[in-house]
Amino acid sequence: MNAFLTDLFVNTQGWLFDRLVQPALFALGLAGYVEMGFEGIEFVLMGVLELGIAYTILRPLEAFWPAEQWSGRKAVRVDVMYTLLNRLGIIPVVVFALLAPAFMALDGWLRFHDVIPRQLEDWLPGLDTHPLASFLIYLLILDFSEYWRHRLSHTISWWWALHGIHHSQRQMSFWTDSRNHLLDDLIGGVWFAGLSLLIGVPPGHFIGLLLTLRLVENLSHANTRLGFGRWGEYLIVGPRYHRWHHAIDLPEGKRYRYGCNFAILFPFWDALFGTLYLGAGLPATGIHEDTPEAITARNDFWGQQKLGLILMWRALAGRRPGSSAT
Amino acid sequence: MHLRLIAFLAFVLVQTSPGVRAETAIVLNSVDESVSFVDTRTYQEYGRAPVCKEPHHLMAMPDDSAVIVACAVSNELVFLDPRTGTEQKRIKNISDPYQIGFSPDKAWFVANSLRLDRVDLYRAADFSLIARIPAEKTPSHMAFDKASQFVFITLQDSNEILAIDLKSRQTAWRYPVGPTPAGIHMTPDDRYLLVGIMGADYVEVIDWRARRTVKRITTARGAHNFLPRGDGRHVFVSNRTVSGSISLLDMQNLSVVESYDVPGGPDDMEIREDGKELWATARFARKVQVVNLEQKKLSHSIRVGRSPHGVSFISHAPRQ
Repeated sequence: MNAFLTDLFVNTQGWLFDRLVQPALFALGLAGYVEMGFEGIEFVLMGVLELGIAYTILRPLEAFWPAEQWSGRKAVRVDVMYTLLNRLGIIPVVVFALLAPAFMALDGWLRFHDVIPRQLEDWLPGLDTHPLASFLIYLLILDFSEYWRHRLSHTISWWWALHGIHHSQRQMSFWTDSRNHLLDDLIGGVWFAGLSLLIGVPPGHFIGLLLTLRLVENLSHANTRLGFGRWGEYLIVGPRYHRWHHAIDLPEGKRYRYGCNFAILFPFWDALFGTLYLGAGLPATGIHEDTPEAITARNDFWGQQKLGLILMWRALAGRRPGSSAT
Repeated sequence: MHLRLIAFLAFVLVQTSPGVRAETAIVLNSVDESVSFVDTRTYQEYGRAPVCKEPHHLMAMPDDSAVIVACAVSNELVFLDPRTGTEQKRIKNISDPYQIGFSPDKAWFVANSLRLDRVDLYRAADFSLIARIPAEKTPSHMAFDKASQFVFITLQDSNEILAIDLKSRQTAWRYPVGPTPAGIHMTPDDRYLLVGIMGADYVEVIDWRARRTVKRITTARGAHNFLPRGDGRHVFVSNRTVSGSISLLDMQNLSVVESYDVPGGPDDMEIREDGKELWATARFARKVQVVNLEQKKLSHSIRVGRSPHGVSFISHAPRQ
């Protein structure tokens, strides 16, 4: 069975590569990107597979055990578009194309000047030969890094101007995970690439790490009452936990002034850094927009992209961002 | 009792006899960051071990005392026992090695950094760094002249051959070739460089002393890498596409003499000592393909890890 599924996957990958990607690369004189193109197809196929799993599990949960009853799902459409752009590799390719040359140049410059960035394996040499331990440690580090990236995107006003797009959805569903301003995605890419350069995230773990994060993020955004119980909520981020992060009205208390429950995978980061909130009930999601443009942009892809840039510019210019987390 | 002893001794003798002893082929799985161990008698993978971050190529030491795995992201070389695949040692701080090679006089160890546009020259005796040479863009494969004066490197993205003078440790010259050059091989008479033009469908033959292209030998799309048959006259060329093939070139009259269908993106190759089997890693199929050279067709497909990039066994044909 395993061999059959592997063959099916590899044959699909090979077919797409042979019929679509490779001819295009050769025609464009980009044969040097052949390997990358092949691995890119794997990345996309795994993304589609992950989305299929998420849809199969989470859509019935949203239908039969919803946190909120909606009269329609029209507002979800824009999130579906974000997800497809992401999972079909379009956004990742653009982010990669923009970032790779700069990071390669930096890495190349460092090496040429005899600076080989230290990696985790230099301190823990056994990791090279223990892939499971290595995967878990990198997952933990990545999750820690994502906690802080996420928290800062709520704290720094110009960054919140972009990240607010993600929070403007009032019908939050498992599709909402990918609803991000494109510049926010680019910043996320810089953050991840910087970390990779710093600690050397193994490329072989990359797809596994990303899929784990994506699957949990799909789950945590799902419109469902599913909870993990009193103790389970401390173990992994779930829909109830993350719903409080998206609450339209934040919990009382100074420590929640920029939000709560920033963790992506493991709630203990919130517990450790004082941002954990396990409230009762299932709050409404969204943000309080204060301009008609912002309200119109809720369901409009290009409107959101434009609004994010305008709000960011205002924040950088020291003016009021226009929408806030509270 | 005597019968049992005789039976035991006979068993030990049979197990250790060269004629029947299984041999291990070591296969490098780049994306899985592991090495697969394949029984060359049963054509089955019998084990797999993690190795390092993004290993890209492997090569046998010139004296076959070890198989070296070049680990691009973890900046190290991992030495494996060529018979069993067990780890012998690691050498750290070899920056981003992608392709590696020894000069014929065994004085130089050269590491190409494809990602970071650089060629590093190490003293082969102790792997100490002697020189770093900028090599834009994407230095890929390498070949040496017989006198070990030059190393020739394909620059995949600038469509050139870079010649580095090993004595002065300076770039000697650059020479333009076809699109996306990959593998490069010196003919046994030390006269021509053969260059696999991956962005097209041919091998470019270069008189390197005159710096002149003398011929383009059409093989198939994705002409990629070379492996000499061991007879001092023929060389295999892998044509790395999904449909895939391997061509056999006659290096004396510079023509294709045979071709084999090898699907899955054949890349690096290894040939058995008796010249009867050619093994090739199929990058796009997670397999090692075995070509029966007597029947001139694919005889076995062996499942291994993701993106297999190099195969080695100790009973290989001579490297010429």
